[in-house]
Amino acid sequence: METVVRLSLDAVEPELARLWKDEADRGGAPRVELFTVVALASELALLGRAQRVLGAVACTYPSRTIVATCVPAADAAITAEASLHRLASGGAACGDAIVLQATGPARDWLPENIDRLALPDLPVCVWWVGDLPDFDSLFDRLVVNADVIVVNSGEMDLRDLEKLSTIVMRCHGGAALSDLMWIRLRPIQDLVARFFDDETSLRCLRSIERITIEFAPRENEQDVASTQAGLLLGWMANALSLGGETVSWKRGTGWGEATLGRVVARFEARARDDVPPGTILRIALECDGARFEVVRQEDPAVFLWSREAPGAPVPPQTLRIGIPEETTLLIRSLERPKRDPLLEKSLHTATRIVRPIAPRLSTRAGG
Amino acid sequence: MTDNPFRAGLVTERAPSPCVFVIFGASGDLTRRKLIPALYNLAVSRLLPAGMSIVGFALTDISEEQFRSSMRDAVAEFSRRKPIDDVVWADFASRLHYLSGKFEDPANFVRLREKLEQLDRTNGTRGNRIYYLAIPPSVFRPVNDNLAAAGMVAEELGNYARVIIEKPFGHDLASAEALNADLHRVLSERQIFRIDHYLGKETVQNLVALRFGTTIFEPLWNRNHIDHVQITVAEDIGVEGRGKFYEEAGASRDIVQNHLLQLLMVTAMEPPVAFTADEVRDEKVKVLRALRPIAGDDVKTLTVRGQYGPGNFAGKAVLGYRQEPNVSPTSSVETFVAMRLEIDNWRFAGVPIYIRAGKRLAKRTTELSVHFKRVPHALLNRDQLVARSGAVGDAGSDVEPDVLAIRIQPDEGIGLRFAAKVPGPTMTLRPVTMDFRYGSTFGGSGPEAYERLLLDAMLGDPTLFARADEVTAAWRFMSPILEAWEKGPPPSFPNYPAGTWGPKAAFDLIEREGRVWRRL
Repeated sequence: METVVRLSLDAVEPELARLWKDEADRGGAPRVELFTVVALASELALLGRAQRVLGAVACTYPSRTIVATCVPAADAAITAEASLHRLASGGAACGDAIVLQATGPARDWLPENIDRLALPDLPVCVWWVGDLPDFDSLFDRLVVNADVIVVNSGEMDLRDLEKLSTIVMRCHGGAALSDLMWIRLRPIQDLVARFFDDETSLRCLRSIERITIEFAPRENEQDVASTQAGLLLGWMANALSLGGETVSWKRGTGWGEATLGRVVARFEARARDDVPPGTILRIALECDGARFEVVRQEDPAVFLWSREAPGAPVPPQTLRIGIPEETTLLIRSLERPKRDPLLEKSLHTATRIVRPIAPRLSTRAGG
Repeated sequence: MTDNPFRAGLVTERAPSPCVFVIFGASGDLTRRKLIPALYNLAVSRLLPAGMSIVGFALTDISEEQFRSSMRDAVAEFSRRKPIDDVVWADFASRLHYLSGKFEDPANFVRLREKLEQLDRTNGTRGNRIYYLAIPPSVFRPVNDNLAAAGMVAEELGNYARVIIEKPFGHDLASAEALNADLHRVLSERQIFRIDHYLGKETVQNLVALRFGTTIFEPLWNRNHIDHVQITVAEDIGVEGRGKFYEEAGASRDIVQNHLLQLLMVTAMEPPVAFTADEVRDEKVKVLRALRPIAGDDVKTLTVRGQYGPGNFAGKAVLGYRQEPNVSPTSSVETFVAMRLEIDNWRFAGVPIYIRAGKRLAKRTTELSVHFKRVPHALLNRDQLVARSGAVGDAGSDVEPDVLAIRIQPDEGIGLRFAAKVPGPTMTLRPVTMDFRYGSTFGGSGPEAYERLLLDAMLGDPTLFARADEVTAAWRFMSPILEAWEKGPPPSFPNYPAGTWGPKAAFDLIEREGRVWRRL
């Protein structure tokens, strides 16, 4: 980004037009924008992170980005900074970079002003940076006009799965929920799916008795599973048609077991400091005479996939699954900016499974 | 394929079953440059099924370890993913095997079968086979016969056996029919995958998306709105050491009969009732059947051929075709072709389609452009644009026509040119372009054509492969032209300097009808 000046909100569009004209005059890139990406940095400390990520996102998807942040103050005002994203320092322009700062009660004015700054006829993606508060009217109002709501369940507690599930229901099929952590899970889901790509091992599915999911806990982890592990089990339970089963739980230090009909699903915490907290370390599915396992290796980006099923010999396979950064995850979430029924279904099922052991959401005062 | 419930809703909803991928001609250039790098890239993308094995088969007597080492060098040089991922390579290399022997010797196929059966036992490949014939067409027959004699193409036990063949699919209509008949002696059509890598290109597939996934253009995609179509497949390189091959093929057989006609088919086909292999290919082949034949005297007026002479490219002197290695100094092989085609069907009757393809042209570019008709009445801008464009149109229509240009390579994308008012007090129009570029819109590079096509072959999806009747229909159109050229007087070659846009006759072909080649 280039030098920025603080502007009143009505000066943002003229300033951007001026910057693009300068760009055109020097033979720069044409103005192409595909999204409006709004990041709500709920704390000032998250502002830099949001700007860095959105700057990188604009390099892949030329976009108008709006980072909004709030500062406590007595006076209510919103001021803005406007500049252009660039592919590299001094490189071609690739989008509009707007930063809004709301002071004091002007926090409540953000939704309509962000709406006014959104590009016409292009999808609006709202990313809540950091942990989602239990109740926040700003979030609720912002997502009304959003096409995609991006969250990161990896920064949340297990009980927050219910919150996300509620958001999905509240959207009534309108906005799409995208979870950066769910995107991280995709390649692991693919490894699980490939266990059952042939008829012989597919027959084992009906007799799966035990699922083990090992994950790296956060420091002082209180939950029995990470949100990632919970979501993964939600997805697996759906695939195994266990979604409607009643759940009973047993738990101890560093482990918890849910009985879902014929299947016992066990979460195990194993400390590992070279992966982000919550990361999946091992998945095993077992039934009589067969075992299917994916294990993260010493190199945290490498997995060993193995299957021992009668009549279906196959050598173990070593695969690399990088640990993508937040920028990459957000870019991937914009690849398909529409509802993901698999995520929604998995969230609902995961919520139902973990509800007995995850503290319930507090209720709104008087609500 | 299975009804794997874990696949439902995933990005990779379909996954290929484990198979053994056998490459005949494993010591050749295609294997090094395209096949192994593509398979390695699929492994990096985690798209190869567990248990899959790759067996190279060639005449060269080398050990399995030498083969692996040579393939590692090939991947290092030609893979789009660099540097090599040692973890992925180690796993991939453990799946690489090699056998040497003559293709004509049935005993070698017994050895091969034993090797494949051994892999079935250890890797769970269950008799699933893909045979890639990266070999000259002259040895297709012994390979197919030996595969059949060794019982290696049977699909009786729920397994599959598929054969992928590379162009040229024959040299003319008779040889193409003979090749098809030969293949059909031992294989059913659904087992045969004729690869034309142009169909695996993202932009060519995007042409299908543009035509049938949007509603903007399809209502305009007909003779009522389209003035003409241009397709250019231009290469800036010469024959690059392939003189021997090119002396037999020429631009007509190397590019026009396959890649260029494939582009034409996708451009002109009717909407298929479903995006399935046979529905799509049924519609494509109808385009070829509707191509107005060019024969006899029409060959002189509707086709142009050329050959490059010495010239310069990028500031350096370059050789003429006849000076290239393994090329006859009196060669009359064409390195450039231009044609004016017409499709005799309801949608395109009367719409000329100008095609050109050649080597050592001014630029490397493949583009398809749809030129719409001029506005019917000169309401605006009467003088300015005639002067600027130099186009000779109807007296009543002087606004430059709209053009939809689909760039296949490089800089893949789509541009739409239309008229816009120049700001100011007068109603002056100027053409402007709306541009969509794959690179800047989607970022990164997509899979290479071979990756997509090899994966499709493993999945058993032949939609992007040529069917027998497509190949013969293409030759049925091309053969009379080739025969007329052969029977006619020798051409006056060379007739264009390297580094230019081809012979003057190619410009005359389009300009005599009041049109010009699009500047690329």
